Amino acid sequence: MTTAETSMPAARRRPDRDRLLTWVCVGLPLLGLILFFLYPMVIVFLRSLTVEDGYGLANYTRVLGSSGFWRATWHSLLMGGTTTVLSVFLGFIIAHGLHRCAFQGKWLVRGVIVLPLLAPSLVQALGLIFLLGRNGVVSRALGIEIEIYGFWGLLIANTLYALPQAVMIIGAALVLLDARTYEAAEVMGASPSRQFRDLTLPAARFGILNAAFVCFTITITDFGNAAVIGGDYSVLATEIYSQVVGQRNFNMGAVVGIMLLLPTVISYAIERQAMKRQQTGQTTGEVRYRPSFAPLRDSVMAGLSLLICSGIVAVIGIVVYASFVTLWPYNMALSPKHYDITLAGGYSSLWMTIVISVMAATGGTLAVFLLGLGLRRVPRAAAQPIQVLAAMPAAVPGMVLGLAYILTFNSTATPLYLLYGTAVLIAIVNFYHYHTQGFLTLMTGFRQLPPALEEAAGSLGAGLGRTAIDIVAPFIAPMLVSVFFFLFMRSMVTLSAVVFLTTPDLSVAAVTIMRLDDAGLTSQAAAFSTCVMAIVCLALLSMKATLALISRRNRAKGGA
Amino acid sequence: MYLTVREATKNYGSFTALNRVSIEIDEGEFVCLLGPSGCGKTTLLRLIAGLSDLDEGEILLEGAALSDLPARKRGFGIVFQSYSLFPNMTVAENIGYGLKIRSTPRPEISRRVTDLLNLVKLPQLADSFPGQLSGGQQQRIALARAIAVDPRVLLLDEPLSALDAKVRAELRGEIRHVQRSLGIPTLMVTHDQEEALALADKIICMNHGVVVQAGTPEDLYNRPRTRFVAEFMGISNLLPADAVGRAFPDLAATRPQGSADDHIACIRPEQIGVTPDPDGNASVRGISFLGNLRRLEVESPAGPLVVETHGAKPCREGDRVTLQVAPDACTWVADDSTRAPAEAQA
Repeated sequence: MTTAETSMPAARRRPDRDRLLTWVCVGLPLLGLILFFLYPMVIVFLRSLTVEDGYGLANYTRVLGSSGFWRATWHSLLMGGTTTVLSVFLGFIIAHGLHRCAFQGKWLVRGVIVLPLLAPSLVQALGLIFLLGRNGVVSRALGIEIEIYGFWGLLIANTLYALPQAVMIIGAALVLLDARTYEAAEVMGASPSRQFRDLTLPAARFGILNAAFVCFTITITDFGNAAVIGGDYSVLATEIYSQVVGQRNFNMGAVVGIMLLLPTVISYAIERQAMKRQQTGQTTGEVRYRPSFAPLRDSVMAGLSLLICSGIVAVIGIVVYASFVTLWPYNMALSPKHYDITLAGGYSSLWMTIVISVMAATGGTLAVFLLGLGLRRVPRAAAQPIQVLAAMPAAVPGMVLGLAYILTFNSTATPLYLLYGTAVLIAIVNFYHYHTQGFLTLMTGFRQLPPALEEAAGSLGAGLGRTAIDIVAPFIAPMLVSVFFFLFMRSMVTLSAVVFLTTPDLSVAAVTIMRLDDAGLTSQAAAFSTCVMAIVCLALLSMKATLALISRRNRAKGGA
Repeated sequence: MYLTVREATKNYGSFTALNRVSIEIDEGEFVCLLGPSGCGKTTLLRLIAGLSDLDEGEILLEGAALSDLPARKRGFGIVFQSYSLFPNMTVAENIGYGLKIRSTPRPEISRRVTDLLNLVKLPQLADSFPGQLSGGQQQRIALARAIAVDPRVLLLDEPLSALDAKVRAELRGEIRHVQRSLGIPTLMVTHDQEEALALADKIICMNHGVVVQAGTPEDLYNRPRTRFVAEFMGISNLLPADAVGRAFPDLAATRPQGSADDHIACIRPEQIGVTPDPDGNASVRGISFLGNLRRLEVESPAGPLVVETHGAKPCREGDRVTLQVAPDACTWVADDSTRAPAEAQA
């Protein structure tokens, strides 16, 4: 040991099993992200530049020169903007009612507000047609003819679809404001309206901004509502569909996809910044605000909230109701005959969707768990870019991701072709479509995990695998459950990413509903939707029950 | 030596957390790493535990290099400041976890867990969950969990810092008792000099990533080598050579060779005698009654001094007094002119 006296060589640790395992934990999900997200996105970009004799901008000049594209772009932006304003306004009313007012029946509002998330987006459109369409309940009752296809119908459908997000995001911002802040203002003599202007609004500012960008993004990227109720009102999402499915023009579809990507990427980038500002700008509410009853304010807020909720219930409820009506609107007697699906395949796509959703949820939860576990142990310099990559898929519209998949996996150039036309590929696209939300949810769980727990386990002799199973997984169990069910429920209802990947032999529920509606079998579409909603509702209830069970157990253990 | 750290260096980017630090721990010894926050003491403990890697240097346990061993194979026990009990396991499961990993037969685990619960005086809590325990109880269990596996070294990372004063004093005695009775070589990180003085066989005082002085508690308190150590180890009167000459001419002769600026005198408050004397050259400015002693602020020719006296009240505020210091009660320390943080003065 004479080397100690001279200059000491850098003491590097030999590769050890845990280090290897750490890199496997990070490596496998990273490989997935590269193969199933980054690579397809590169392909779609290259295809948008592909012309007959190599690469060039000819596709772009053709698209940018067509009036159809500009009309769709204008429609998309107008629709996105209007929907955003409307859903954020209504969302603020409900969130404010839930978190800053006192009235009975909040549980009802909370329950109703999530309904649109439990159904494929085209269900709002279906419901509106049953309500306000030519043969709709309202139109017939009033004896007037409403033109529901087009801008107004799509606006209402999109608003209903975006509303739950707005309520949740704004609500989360309002919760952050501590009760003591209000008490301080009260003592200083601020009137309720002043408190609203000076405390509530500024607190919700980033929440509102954030909600606006989320609503804008989901509106301009949504395909289901636009396909069912958009009529002649073309938007970018339907434009991609018609380029690819209608005209088999993949390169042009890729161009439109890239154009649709621009606003969503910008919007997502701003939203992430707003989130960071909100997180750093405020402390979490340590003393929860308990609103006291103010008759005027609360009766108005309760009335508005219930009005909005009854709108949601009407639109979703009418779909369920219509699915049981013998012959809408002529024979309103109830019968289950529409549940006998006559379209080729029948319910097979529903079962297949369940299988796909379970695959996406299981594989996805495992993948983000491994990634989160590994990222805690790799150097910051390596972890940061991976985290950025893992948060990127949310910026990509489902249509674009789906198109990227068909361009990538329907080519015999790589062995990945073997995946094409399989349920596995649909499960994969669903997972990566919702990768960001799943990943971020789990990361919040990981952030709450004190490093001392893992270090204590390590010094007691537990390896990475043991620590993961004995210590980490139990700690973040609620997050794992949430991510699992989130991925399951989204996979059950998503349409935009999978619409290009279904084949005559392999379809999913949302696509079947669209085909039934296309074929004029609107009542069967309603029946099929009802089945999907029932399954998703069941999943949601299972999730709530599981989470309640976990939290009851944790409370019994004296924890939070 | 049982555990030896030689020339350990650790950098975080351009910041040097540890700069060629060498320490030694003997068999059965209780060693405290003492220093202000950011001095590198926790970094050193984590390196020894294997929770982070050395940039340079080596760590030897009974002569064998540890660098290649990950934390889980070192067989050390560690207790963190707080929140390190596994919330999903009962107290018994927490304590038995290390044994379970070592595939110890179940009856033996439960016997050992019972013994340890008795040792930390919490036998009734076997089936409780960590969330149901007080902070002090949690730390006792964490201690039991760490020693369950008969660790080769026990590492304590500020185990008492998150507790309130009374519990802290109680648990301090407990840790000492357990460590003594089991004879486990122990390294504890703390920023509380009182804790270090009370517990340690040896204190290693650190600042800015280097060891400033190592020795017995008496050594560090009575014979600090630098101004930093003198200030960090309790209250002291630090006087430049010329001030000593004015107030205590007898002491000036004890000053070591060298320039007058190199050394300053360190006189502990309890080493200064106070006698009421109308002709004295000092006066009492203020008196604080602290129960077992009185702390006097005295204005002297050397400037303001802190004096502590036991027993009867010797004087009142405003009284003139003379001060005496025995020549051997004054330690000349190197003026490393690094100011200790304010918290260390109190």
